[in-house]
Amino acid sequence: MLSGKAAIDLPWAEGETVGRVLLKFQSVELIPVNHKLIDEHGALHTGTIILVNRKNILHINGLDTPVQDNDVLSLFPPGAGG
Amino acid sequence: MADSDGDRFSRQRLHWGEEKQRQIAESSILIAGLGGLGATVSQIMARAGVARLHLVDDGSVEWSDLHRQSLYGECDIGSNKVLVTRKRLQAINSRVEIVCHNTRVDNTFCLPPGIRGVADCLDNFTGRFDLYAAIPDGMFFVHGGVQGDQGQVLTLIKGASLPLDEILAGCRQPEGLIPVTPESVFAVASFMSSELFQAISGAPKLLNRFLVVDMAGFTLSFLEV
Repeated sequence: MLSGKAAIDLPWAEGETVGRVLLKFQSVELIPVNHKLIDEHGALHTGTIILVNRKNILHINGLDTPVQDNDVLSLFPPGAGG
Repeated sequence: MADSDGDRFSRQRLHWGEEKQRQIAESSILIAGLGGLGATVSQIMARAGVARLHLVDDGSVEWSDLHRQSLYGECDIGSNKVLVTRKRLQAINSRVEIVCHNTRVDNTFCLPPGIRGVADCLDNFTGRFDLYAAIPDGMFFVHGGVQGDQGQVLTLIKGASLPLDEILAGCRQPEGLIPVTPESVFAVASFMSSELFQAISGAPKLLNRFLVVDMAGFTLSFLEV
């Protein structure tokens, strides 16, 4: 969604975390996204939910949530209005 | 001038059949929020012939509502939304029982009895979480949200699905006015209504998965939760 694509495959490496995957996404897609998702203190901005295998990472370990090979990481900014 | 339900619902009966029409005609649905989504969802529910609509909103019609809130016009500025909505819905289908709740959904909100399911048409995350907390186990909850030219619809079953506040953890209200286009509101409200009919008949298609509607890209996508 951030790159205009529905999905993208990224190579997995040992010790992968959500934070590292986002950095990898930036370097592969050449689209700066982390400033939209992470503040200057390294904390997640509000407004976009990040799911690993359907679970919100705020309920796991935030940006340090481990990512295994073949895991699905989803980013989605839910509309607030009605 | 005589009306019969046979004529009124003949076209939709041809499509979804007698059994689904009966299920709709026996349903009481609570519409939380009578903004863009709620105005159109409540209108579609009334036109389709639900038994009863509980309408929840404490707002009044403002000029900034008119571009997307389908039940209101210039003559309604300053009027109470639940009362205007009741009047318009009764003009559309006088057989639908309309119950007005001129109140805000917060952590004191109590669900009225006899509700079959809930349509979350609210405009803030805190209210949505309070609404979800107020419904009993087993009840379906059709969530909708819209911002800019995107929106989403998601169905949860209380007690069986992940809680809404867990799925949307970290979402807070944007500061200031939320940008929104008229057509995205109508599109998301239509998908919500379709899903409400599915849920009423016991077969929600968006159970535990977001439908993401992107009007700019003319795309629909799904996100499992």
